[in-house]
Amino acid sequence: MNDSMNEILVSAQDVSKVYKTGNIETPALRGVTLDVRHRDFLSIVGPSGSGKTTLLNLIGALDSVTRGRLTVLDQDISAMSKRERADLRLRSLGFVFQAYNLLPVLTAVENVEFVLELQGVGDERRKRARQILEQLHLSELADRRPTELSGGQQQRVAVARAVASRPRLVLADEPTANLDGENAENLLRMMRDLNERDGITFIFSTHDPRVISYAHRVVTLVDGQVVNDERKNS
Amino acid sequence: MIRSVSAKYAMRSLLSHPMRSILSMTGIGVGCAMALFATSYVGGEAEWQIRAVSESGAGHISIVPNGWIEKRENSVRLADWEHALEAAQSLPGVKAITFRARANGLLAFGNRTAGVEVTGVDPERESRSNRIVYKAKLEGRYLRPDDSGVVVIGRTLAGRLDVGLDDDLYVTMAGRDEIQSAMLRIVGILETGSRDIDAAICHVTLPDIERMTGYTGPGEISILLTDYRLIETDRKDLAARLSGSNTVITWEDSNPGLAANVKGDTVFMNALAGIIVIVVALGIASAQLTTVLERRHEFAILSALGMRGGQVVGLVALEALAVGVAGALVALVLGGPLTYYLSTHGINFASLIGEGFGNVLLDPRMYCVFGPWLIWYALAISVTATALVSVYPAWLATRVDPAEAMRKV
Repeated sequence: MNDSMNEILVSAQDVSKVYKTGNIETPALRGVTLDVRHRDFLSIVGPSGSGKTTLLNLIGALDSVTRGRLTVLDQDISAMSKRERADLRLRSLGFVFQAYNLLPVLTAVENVEFVLELQGVGDERRKRARQILEQLHLSELADRRPTELSGGQQQRVAVARAVASRPRLVLADEPTANLDGENAENLLRMMRDLNERDGITFIFSTHDPRVISYAHRVVTLVDGQVVNDERKNS
Repeated sequence: MIRSVSAKYAMRSLLSHPMRSILSMTGIGVGCAMALFATSYVGGEAEWQIRAVSESGAGHISIVPNGWIEKRENSVRLADWEHALEAAQSLPGVKAITFRARANGLLAFGNRTAGVEVTGVDPERESRSNRIVYKAKLEGRYLRPDDSGVVVIGRTLAGRLDVGLDDDLYVTMAGRDEIQSAMLRIVGILETGSRDIDAAICHVTLPDIERMTGYTGPGEISILLTDYRLIETDRKDLAARLSGSNTVITWEDSNPGLAANVKGDTVFMNALAGIIVIVVALGIASAQLTTVLERRHEFAILSALGMRGGQVVGLVALEALAVGVAGALVALVLGGPLTYYLSTHGINFASLIGEGFGNVLLDPRMYCVFGPWLIWYALAISVTATALVSVYPAWLATRVDPAEAMRKV
């Protein structure tokens, strides 16, 4: 293992998250401690309500921690403003959602290009967006709108969008939940290639045994606590 | 071709709900068209009234002796009036100039008398510039430059004195040193259709009034302009050219009551136009709010992808701008031809104001105002209204929790 692989991208120290509705407090995470290293291909598993999505939201700077300390790419999430968190998401993180979440009025290439435009990339953004789709063997889908794509195709375009900004970390929330076996396999191979070739770190939340089988590391959450952290030999 | 993906996203989002977008654009367009019409109508009405009063003797601007506005003293005359006349003639946009002198007098015929303001005029200039003279029904004839000892009076005054053409009126008026009297032969009787005005018309030549009063020269110079919008610039220009003994006033100074009416009408119609636009804009606000609430998940995705609050506001504002510009086009399509038609054909008020009165003091047709300003006006109202009503929906869009993007839909 070289130095780069030892680099810690995410460090959660005794992180808790409590949702409040009126006077009712619902704990979602209870003292989670976890390190995610560069090039990890990590799967967070656990039953429904175990806190998988909450943990992804916190790591993705979509939400703030209630207690504990969470650093992502050396930045303390709990100390960041809304704008700083938006900037972190834009520049350093990629997201793949279970429901694909491509913008319906834009074509595949425009969905990828949109992220580049938000980043302030100039005239070459269209070219770059097409290059990304080409690298991921999605060129033939470039000018189609999401409604003209199958679920598997949409999710592959969503991955292209997630990696367009060359993030160090991609978070995927149950990415294969709506896909059939072949599409799920294609997607997982694509993400593993990106992990191995480009060194992008992936964190998934999943119930899917296929995803778990691809993961190098599996973290199991139960009732908001890490009960198992298993690194597989690759 | 739109190159910005954000702009494409905004435009296509609008087009993804075509009926809603069309209704929003039509709504704001109809509201703006009504506002355009109201403004065009108010402008035309103001011009109509200003033209009526200025062409009925007051002029758009007048030169009067200092202090006349406060005292309205008819015995005061202009200082160095020839110079003042020259200055008036050199103004840009002058249509006609006339000058007058006034004196308070008492007319008598037999055992009947009537108090009246006698006006000494230049007959040729008065015939060209005073619609009471050139538009009214005239029995007999109007004054001529070489006339002496003759008078033209109004129909009501003639009735009160029970006189007709060629009757001799006994006139008494205050002179410089003592009361003066003279006999004046009636050569013409004017009928404007307004009993009040017809009771006040008593015109003699300027030399006659000078002889009777002992005061020389006119007490006012009235200037009629080709365009009432020149009033303020010409007033300032003329004031700068005059000596300190005379002053320049506008039709508003000489007719404060009518000026207040015109202003009141303008304020009322503008308020009405504003209310129409506000009501329509609130409808648009409701539609925009619905759009934002329906797209909460999309805004959450945008936020999750790293879009900042300001960029979200920009996106909503861009959609509002598109609705506003399209609304302005609708307003111009609906309101433009109508105001153009009414500016060229006018609105006929003959049946409302009466033929006689309407033909003399007021033109029976009122013409709305029309010009390139309509385009900027429509754009300003429509874009401002839609921009203002998009503030709250835009703010709401920035408040969407990005974690919502993770929720399954």
